[in-house]
Amino acid sequence: MIQLGFSFDISRCSGCMACVVACMDQNNLPGDGVAYRHVIQLEKGEYPSVRVSFVSLSCQNCTDAPCRVVCPRNAILRNPRNEIVDVIKDACIGCHSCAMVCPFGAPQFSSEGKMSKCDFCIDRVEQGMEPACVHTCTTRALGFGSMKELAKKKAEKASVKILDSLLTVSA
Amino acid sequence: MRKNARLTHLDANRTPAGKVPVEERDVEIRQTICAICNPFSHCGVDAHVKDGAIIKVEGTKSHPHSEGTLCAKGAASREYIYHKERLRTPLLRKGERGSDEFEPISWDEALDRIEDRLQKIKRESGPESVAFYVGYTKWMRPFVKRLAHSFGSPNYCTESSTCYTATKVANLLNYGYFGPPNLAKSKCLLVWSKNPFYSDTSAVRRLLDARERGLKIIEVGPLITPLTAHADIHLRIRPGTSGALAHGMAHVIIEEELFDVDFVENWTLGFEEYRAYVEGFSPAVTEEITGVPAELIEQAARFYATTKPAALMTSASPTVHHTNGVQNHRALTALIGLTGNFDREGGNYVVPPGWLYVENGLITRQSQYEQSRPWPEMAPRITEQKYPVWSRFIPETQAMELPFQIQNPDPYPIRAVVAFGMNYRMWPGSDFFYESMKKLDFMVNMDLFMTDTCRLADIVLPACTSFERSELKFYTEDYVVWTTPVIRPLWESRSDADIIFDLAKRIAPEDDLMQKGYEANVDWILEPTGLKVEKLKKYPAGYAVKNIEKPPYQKYEKSGFPTPSGKMEFASTIMEEANYDPLPTFQEPKLSPRSTPEVAKDFPLILTTGARLPMYIHSRTFRLSWTRGLRPDPMLDINPKDAGERGISQGDWVALSTPRNSIKVKANLTEVVPPGVINIFHGYSEPEVNTLFEPDYLDPVSGFPGFKSLLCEVKKTEVEKRLL
Repeated sequence: MIQLGFSFDISRCSGCMACVVACMDQNNLPGDGVAYRHVIQLEKGEYPSVRVSFVSLSCQNCTDAPCRVVCPRNAILRNPRNEIVDVIKDACIGCHSCAMVCPFGAPQFSSEGKMSKCDFCIDRVEQGMEPACVHTCTTRALGFGSMKELAKKKAEKASVKILDSLLTVSA
Repeated sequence: MRKNARLTHLDANRTPAGKVPVEERDVEIRQTICAICNPFSHCGVDAHVKDGAIIKVEGTKSHPHSEGTLCAKGAASREYIYHKERLRTPLLRKGERGSDEFEPISWDEALDRIEDRLQKIKRESGPESVAFYVGYTKWMRPFVKRLAHSFGSPNYCTESSTCYTATKVANLLNYGYFGPPNLAKSKCLLVWSKNPFYSDTSAVRRLLDARERGLKIIEVGPLITPLTAHADIHLRIRPGTSGALAHGMAHVIIEEELFDVDFVENWTLGFEEYRAYVEGFSPAVTEEITGVPAELIEQAARFYATTKPAALMTSASPTVHHTNGVQNHRALTALIGLTGNFDREGGNYVVPPGWLYVENGLITRQSQYEQSRPWPEMAPRITEQKYPVWSRFIPETQAMELPFQIQNPDPYPIRAVVAFGMNYRMWPGSDFFYESMKKLDFMVNMDLFMTDTCRLADIVLPACTSFERSELKFYTEDYVVWTTPVIRPLWESRSDADIIFDLAKRIAPEDDLMQKGYEANVDWILEPTGLKVEKLKKYPAGYAVKNIEKPPYQKYEKSGFPTPSGKMEFASTIMEEANYDPLPTFQEPKLSPRSTPEVAKDFPLILTTGARLPMYIHSRTFRLSWTRGLRPDPMLDINPKDAGERGISQGDWVALSTPRNSIKVKANLTEVVPPGVINIFHGYSEPEVNTLFEPDYLDPVSGFPGFKSLLCEVKKTEVEKRLL
C-alpha cells in the first residue's frame, strides 16, 4: 500500500493563505471559521533580531492516529483502499474527543455538529489531480505524493545544495 | 445537494455541488483570467462549469505566467462572482445622496437619463465640468479615457492618482524611460519596500527559485515581510526616509569609488552637484535620519555596487506615499545609473510600453487610441497648474484634487462624475471627499456591489466580473489572451466595455471609431502587432506569440536618454523649470519626529498604512467570508515593546489617533513592525483609516498622499457598542 502525504518546505511558505481558501472552494466550506487547513505565523526574537516564519498545516493522516483510538463510536478508521484516515459521518456523534487528542487541530465541526477534515482531496487525487491546496500554492512550499517519492525529492534537493557548496569551496 | 445548503452566503440556485471535473458529471473546464488585482499579475483560471454555473475555480497549469497558482483572493473568485450582494439591475436614486433608497430601472432608461444629464451639463458649463474616473480594476481604462476626450472633457482621472504614477514620474525625470528588474539574469536584487509575496504572487516562485540558485537579496523597508527570511541584508528604515538612505548608500559608493565612472562621465547630467549633495549623508548622519545602523548601510552599498549585474525592484507606491514621495523615489532610482545597472542585462531593462502596464516587446497603439482629442482642443485639466511636472508625464487629471474642485468656480467647477468602480475611501480625509461628492449635480457609478460610493450616485450600473466578459491581456512571457466569457453576465449585469460603447453612441457620436464597437476598437489598438481579436478567439486559454523582437540593452548608447539633456539627469532640467529642487533632495515627511517635534510630543509613533495583507486587495475582497474570515477585525500592528509601555495586550481595542481624527481598532502585537511604528491596513468601511489624514497631506510634485508616514498615538480604550 502506498502511503500518501503532504510535504511542506518551511523556507518557501509566505503565509499567503491561498491554500486555505482553495480548500474552502474545493470543499464548499461556509467560511464561518471551519477550515481544513490552517496557516500560522511564528515570530522568534525581538527587535532588531527577529525571524518570522509560516507553517501551513492540515490533517496529517497519521499512521498511528490518536483520533482513531479515542473515537467512542469507531467512526474514524484507516481506509484500506488508500490508507487515509477517514471519518464515517453517519457514525460520528460530534463529541469532539478526536479534536482533543489531535496535535494538529485537524478535526473541524460544521454547524450540524459532525466532524469533518482534510481527506487529501482524494477524489481529485484519484483523477490524477493534486489536492486543491497544493495546486494553488503560490511558492511551491506544499507538495503531495507518496511518502517515498517525497522523501526522495527532498533528498535530491538537499544533495544539490551540498554539492553546490562543495564546488564553491573548491573553486 | 446537502453541501449546497450550507452555502447560505452564495446564491444557492447557481452553485450546484461538485468537486472534480469528470466527464460523467458534465463538468466542463473553461479558461479565463482572474482580474482582481494588479494588471501585471492576472493569473490564468480554469473555471469548472456545470449547467452554466461555475462550481470550482483553480489556476491553469499551462498558463506561462501563473503556472496553476492562485492567491487567496483569486481562489475565492466563486464567492466573488456569486455573492448575494451583487448589483442585479441598473438603479435610480430615490432618496438623499448617500442613502439606500434606489429603484431598479431598465438599461435603456438608465443610459437615456445619463445622456440627458451629461449633455445638459455640457451645454451649461462645458464638457470639462464632467470628470470621468476609473478605479480598480484597470482593464477598461483606455476606453473610458477615449470616451472622456471624445465627449470633450480633459478631466479623465484614475485610481493611479495614488498608485504608480508618482514612481513613474520620478523614473522619467531621472531617465526618460524605465524598466523593471531583469530577474532571470540578475545576481543581486535590491528590493525597496515591496512585498511581492502578497502583491504579486504570480512572480514569487521564480524569485524563490532564483534565490535558491544563489541570487543575493537586499531588502529595504520598515516591516518584516516574507522576503526578509531570504534577504542577505535588511535595512529597516524609519518610514519616509527612503531618500536619505539612498543618499547614504550613494555617499559610500562614491567615496569608495565603486560607481560606474564611464557611465557617469558620459551619460549623466549634474553628477558634481549630486556628489556634493550626498557628501552630507555620511553613514553616521544617515543612521541618525533613517534608524539603520551605519555598518549595514555601508555593507549594503558595497554589496549592491559590486555584485554585478544588480537590479532594483520597487513597488508601485510605498516609496511615493510620502509628502516627499517623488524626490524619495528619484533618490533611490538614481542608484541604478550610479552603479551602471541601467538598461543592462540583469539590471533594470527598458522595454517599451505594450498594453495596459505590461511590457513584452509587442507595440500597440494604446496611447494614440486613448487621446482621441489633443490637449489644446480641450480646456486645461484642473490640476495642470498645481502639478505641472506630474501633468507633463501623466496624461490624466490628478484625482486627489476632485474634493477641492467640485463646485469650485476657479478655473471651472466639476459638476458631474462618471465613475467606473470608484471608492471614495481611497482619498486622504475620505470624509471630506464624501461630503464634497454630495454637492455634485450628477454622478454615475458602475460597480459589482452596492458600495457606499454607489450610494452617492444618481444612477448605479451593475458591472460584471472577468469571468463574464471578454478582455485583452498581455503577459511578459510573450503571451496574449482575449478571454472568452465562461458564464453569461449574471442577472442584468454587463461588461464595462458594453456600457462604455453604448455610452459612446449617446455622448460621443462624432467618434467614428467608437461607433464601430468594442472588438473593432481592440483590433485598431492591436494593429501594429498583427494580432486580431478573431484570431485570438481561437485560443481561449491564450496565444503564445512567436519571435517578438526584444529591444537591445543600453539603448541610450545609440539614441541617448529621452530626457531634455539626452542624459540620465541627477539634476533634473524639468524639475528646475518647474521651480522644484533639481536634485533629488531629501525632505522629512510633513509630520515626523524630526520635522515637527512639537506634534510628536503628543503623537510619538509613526503611522504607516496600506501595506498588503494576503487576503485583501484594497477593499475588494472584504465582503467575502472566505477571505474576511482569515482576518475579520480591523487591526493595527504594534511592536510588543510599544504595546507593553501602553498596557496593551493582544486583541485589545485601542484608539488610534492622529492630529486629525481617532479611530477604534484591535491591537495585533507583532515584531513585523519595529518599535515606534504602527502599521494598519486600509480600506475598511468601519473604521475609516483614511480619515486619519488631512485631505491635503500630499506630495507637492505628484499630489500623492503621505499614506506611509504620519504621526500617531495608540491608547487602550473601551470598545463602543456599535463596534460589537
